[in-house]
Amino acid sequence: MSEAHKFVWEGSIPLQIHLHQSEITTLPPPPPALVLAPRIGYLPLLISLIKPHFSTTLPPGIDTIWFEYKGLPLKWYIPTGVLFDLLCMEPERPWNLTVHFRGYPSNLLLPCEGVDSIKWSFINSLKEAAYVINGNCKNVMNMSQPDQAELWHSVLSGNLESYRRVSSKLKLGTFEDEYAENINPVSTKSQQSTEETEVTGQLKTGRIPVRLYVWTVNKDFDDLEDAPQIDNWDKVSYINRPVEIHKDDGKYFSLNDAVRSLLPEFFPGSSFVDEEDASINRSTGEEEENTCDPMSSFQPLENAEIKLVRIQGIEPKLEIPFSWVVNNLMNPEYFLHICVCLKVSEAKALQ
Amino acid sequence: MATESPSSIRKVVVHLRATGDAPILKQSKFKIAGSDKFAKVIDFLRRQLHRETLFVYVNSAFSPNPDELVIDLYNNFGFDGKLVVNYACSMAWG
Repeated sequence: MSEAHKFVWEGSIPLQIHLHQSEITTLPPPPPALVLAPRIGYLPLLISLIKPHFSTTLPPGIDTIWFEYKGLPLKWYIPTGVLFDLLCMEPERPWNLTVHFRGYPSNLLLPCEGVDSIKWSFINSLKEAAYVINGNCKNVMNMSQPDQAELWHSVLSGNLESYRRVSSKLKLGTFEDEYAENINPVSTKSQQSTEETEVTGQLKTGRIPVRLYVWTVNKDFDDLEDAPQIDNWDKVSYINRPVEIHKDDGKYFSLNDAVRSLLPEFFPGSSFVDEEDASINRSTGEEEENTCDPMSSFQPLENAEIKLVRIQGIEPKLEIPFSWVVNNLMNPEYFLHICVCLKVSEAKALQ
Repeated sequence: MATESPSSIRKVVVHLRATGDAPILKQSKFKIAGSDKFAKVIDFLRRQLHRETLFVYVNSAFSPNPDELVIDLYNNFGFDGKLVVNYACSMAWG
């Protein structure tokens, strides 16, 4: 069992959760709740841990739990670890979030009817990932009810062994990755270690399901503390494209190759993009509601720079083999979630 | 390399198919901007069918996240130049 996979499953984010002041009806106000939130989990699942802290102070009404960070309502279907990686550029521990039990902002967030909605979203993401990998999702759809329940429960409880046992029936593979043993993934500090990597890794299938969260900046920053805050979901492009693993003269396919091939709008010269992909991926729009979308407000650029790539709280070297990233850092629904910050020059951005 | 003008909006043909006892629409094929979210397809169906609760699937298989872009769904799951979207009034594929 890969050690990195275990780290991902055991990874938690310490949260300090404050009840929104509009929902405090008692004096003194309740102290914040301290909770460890699993990276692979979803925020509303924490309700049973949080509710007892605040139940005596809430105004009358029906609970519809939602969270915000610095005024930004958090999308519940994004795994907690991904939200943290995306929105907390300079990781803050504990992460200070505000919880609401009333006044669900249904104009900004998809409706969430508790655990059932989250399970529905998880299973459908799993089906979608299976479809990308195998061209159909029969294995997920034909899963027995007890197996499906066990799979979901393994995610809820962070039980990796149980997850492995039941998910292996889906035949979604881990991808053969012979060089995994040869490198130390978290600290590929020396260039040498990647150069020494053997080019023996073979992927079982070529299509990797990826959910990509991209935001662009046009000013350089050296310190993550100075990075601009994401205060609006329109600033994040949510892109779902599979990565096709390409082999080029025995050179392994790196994370850098993967990210560039996912963003033909910014890296049109990427040699891994075939002509068809390049044209059909061009999803730039001009509609008013999309004017804030960074993907649509720029002309195709050749001089975009990958400023930051963060996956499961790690900022891996871009030279790392992509197959290692997939096998070790993907989420339980078989999607690899990648947060990418791109720097584009100001002159280009103003066009 | 693509020669398509980057400012042009790529339209995607969505083929809407009723499942189970869901009413059949008079017009089943629509064009929608690829830069739209799947939520727009769901909203359109809700308005057409006057129903709040609808189950909307791609390729009789899964319900995409409403935030996903139509162009991504088309590229990943479309065939024969269109994206097949099934809709049902009760859960069709769990």
